[in-house]
Amino acid sequence: MADTSTDHSTSSAGIDLSQFYQVFFEEAGENLENMEQLLLELDIEAADDEELNAIFRCAHSIKGGAATFGFSDVAELTHQMETLLDKLRRHELAPTAPMVDVLLQSGDALKAMLGRHQGSGAAAVDTTELLVHIRAMAAGEAPAPVAAAVVKAEPVQAVAPVAAAADPVAQAAATSGQRTVELRVGPLSDPAQADNLLDLFKEITDLGTIEPLPDDAALAGVRRFKVSTAAPESELLDLFTFHVAREQVAFLALGDAGSAAMAAEADPSDKGYGFFDNAPGAPDKAPAAPVAAETAVLKPVAAAVAAKPAAPKSDKPAAGLEASTIRVSVEKVDQLINLVGELVITQAMLAQNSRGLDPVVYQQLVTGLTDLDRNTRDLQEAVMSIRMIPMSTVFSRFPRMLRDLANKLGKKVELVTQGEATELDKGLVEKITDPLTHLVRNSCDHGIEMPADRIAQGKPEVGTITLAASHQGGSIVIEVRDDGKGLSREKLLKKAREKGIDAPDSLTDPEVWNLIFAPGFSTAEEVTDVSGRGVGMDVVKKNITSLGGTVEIDSAEGYGMRVAVRLPLTLAIMDGMSVGVGEEVYILPLSSVVESFQVSQEMIKTVGGSGRVVEVRDEYMPVIELEKVFNVPRFDWEHNSGIMVVVEAESGRVALLVDELLGQQQVVVKNLETNYRKVNDVSGATIMGDGRVALILDVGSLVRRSRH
Amino acid sequence: MGMMEKLDVQTELAREYLTFRLGDEEYGIDILKVQEIRGYENPTRIANAPHFLKGVVNLRGTIVPIVDLRLRFGCSSSEYNAFTVTIVLHIGQRTIGTVVDSVSDVMEIPVEAVRPAPEMSSAIDATYIRGLAQVGERMVILLDIESMLMSQDMGLID
Repeated sequence: MADTSTDHSTSSAGIDLSQFYQVFFEEAGENLENMEQLLLELDIEAADDEELNAIFRCAHSIKGGAATFGFSDVAELTHQMETLLDKLRRHELAPTAPMVDVLLQSGDALKAMLGRHQGSGAAAVDTTELLVHIRAMAAGEAPAPVAAAVVKAEPVQAVAPVAAAADPVAQAAATSGQRTVELRVGPLSDPAQADNLLDLFKEITDLGTIEPLPDDAALAGVRRFKVSTAAPESELLDLFTFHVAREQVAFLALGDAGSAAMAAEADPSDKGYGFFDNAPGAPDKAPAAPVAAETAVLKPVAAAVAAKPAAPKSDKPAAGLEASTIRVSVEKVDQLINLVGELVITQAMLAQNSRGLDPVVYQQLVTGLTDLDRNTRDLQEAVMSIRMIPMSTVFSRFPRMLRDLANKLGKKVELVTQGEATELDKGLVEKITDPLTHLVRNSCDHGIEMPADRIAQGKPEVGTITLAASHQGGSIVIEVRDDGKGLSREKLLKKAREKGIDAPDSLTDPEVWNLIFAPGFSTAEEVTDVSGRGVGMDVVKKNITSLGGTVEIDSAEGYGMRVAVRLPLTLAIMDGMSVGVGEEVYILPLSSVVESFQVSQEMIKTVGGSGRVVEVRDEYMPVIELEKVFNVPRFDWEHNSGIMVVVEAESGRVALLVDELLGQQQVVVKNLETNYRKVNDVSGATIMGDGRVALILDVGSLVRRSRH
Repeated sequence: MGMMEKLDVQTELAREYLTFRLGDEEYGIDILKVQEIRGYENPTRIANAPHFLKGVVNLRGTIVPIVDLRLRFGCSSSEYNAFTVTIVLHIGQRTIGTVVDSVSDVMEIPVEAVRPAPEMSSAIDATYIRGLAQVGERMVILLDIESMLMSQDMGLID
């Protein structure tokens, strides 16, 4: 980025911009998401200045990038949004709900446009109507004369295309090398805003130096700074726009008594372009003329800067503020994880081989190995945490979805999110989003009642859907709660019988709730276009199960329901229990192990000749002999399997008969399918301390096996 | 593109083959498919897999299936001794190990030296034999190892 900012004729110099496209798309995507979230959070009655500024900055960044990369349709729309937002943040207009709607729609249109530029093959987006809407809003209700808004909107558009050709020249004129100038900011309602500029300036390396000058009593609310920089003023202007309006920033020769020019500049009725008209002709500004001329040349450029090569600079403040993050491809992280996994294995091997060494003789070696052990574990943990991203990335999509959905259904719903900071493996985040979306939709569609019904039942008119994430042991629990009508036991049972499912009255509540996971099951009285087609809950359950997770339902009729999704923290590492069968070693996911105990052959009873069961705490459990499932060859006929490991999955329990328990350890889960194929009853493989491969058992599949 | 075409023409004229022995027979496979040659190590057995699939091993962190070609081709004996080697092949996106008795040579075999294999019944489907090449006194069976390993009856893919 630093290179492009010094090269002001980026496009003509023939630098291939396409290499930066991906970065732009990613950043634009993030900015859009950010903007949407801010818009949704915006309190229309009492809009927070900081929020409005933040929304403006989002639009501004997208516009800058889009213009640089030549996505004129994106730039055009964001430009209009920016115009409106600029008026909002300067309190020339009061935010209204329709405005938020239009801005949200514009956000959607931008997403579609960006998608199209990325080659999604979507149809061109027609934004004519949106543009008209935004312009009308920006102009129509403005307390400032309508003409002003038009003037503001038009010249910039006119300048933008021209700027492409004129830019190198204009920029050359603007860039006058290293120099020291006076920067005036204001008048500001809150002078502290200028301090932000100070921080911002300092945050960007190589920009130059800035120091505050004593306030001029004649200029109330105006802050003065001494700036020493080589950067073109257009760039500085662009940078400062993140905190204050462009018109409130002026550059003067240091020590110049340009108060008159400043006054003209500061006059709120004479924004931006007025200065351009006045400056050259006014005789009383003669001393300031050289500066004024320079500033005058700058002005049109300044208006277009966001749209031109200086724009990469506009990303800089954002980068400066978030300098603590970098963007890395997941592939690289995975590679790192693999390497660390290897290191852990090598370390384990060393530890095993050194066990026999006499610590007195090999004291240093032993100490070194102990350090290595600790360091590799720390390293592994640190590397794994790179893949972890907060749940807020999932949750953030719901406010918008729910807002649209509630509007469509005529319901009033409030979304409460808890534990957004809870971290989850990126791979899981991607896969959990769809099931969660479905659950939230369900809650809104089937759970929350119509406002009138709610009032009739003495509930608050606005329903609440709560999304909560938390860590519980080695897993993450994501809950979707609503205070709607809950599940009806009778309805579910009736429906189940209609579908031909065996559902006796004796079923416990959890068993009844679990009926909704049956394929084709829907209790909605009528099918809406939102949900109710009965495809979904079974898919939700299947998806979550395939991630190694579980779903639990809890409900009280009339009071709401709670769906809890429990997932492992990561797919790449898990706690395993290694068990020995014959000469072979298998790994059981520790999360599914309930208990283990010694048995004698007499404790195992048969049912119908072949089905074997064992009694555990007054409960008969099917016995699965791993030896038989995996056809383990026996060389030692004397030995008998004597250990039972009770495992649980998919709300079923089985007792696995194994030879011995070898221990517990964290295992790096490897995929068998990469080079081979799916193996029955095996979910993956891992590499043991001695470098050998051990298979990880698919407990769910073993439980299912016992059922038929 | 031009470069690729040129390369193709070259390989049409003469290909380099890695030759190895299975019992008394000598086989050749395209050297470009070979990733590395390793000593044989005991793999982890996979239950209910075809008998020629010895299991899986850890190859620097990836799990690689091991196929014993001697068992696949019905060789009379398949001992695992000091000469037994694993040829690790890179096929498509996959890495697969094959066990052979010994590796003999890397040789360039001109296309003219390759004769079509006659119709006959053998453990190897004729479609997987590119041809038979006469190299001095020896006959080398040129295998199309990629299509053979990727075929359904190998059971290496779903």
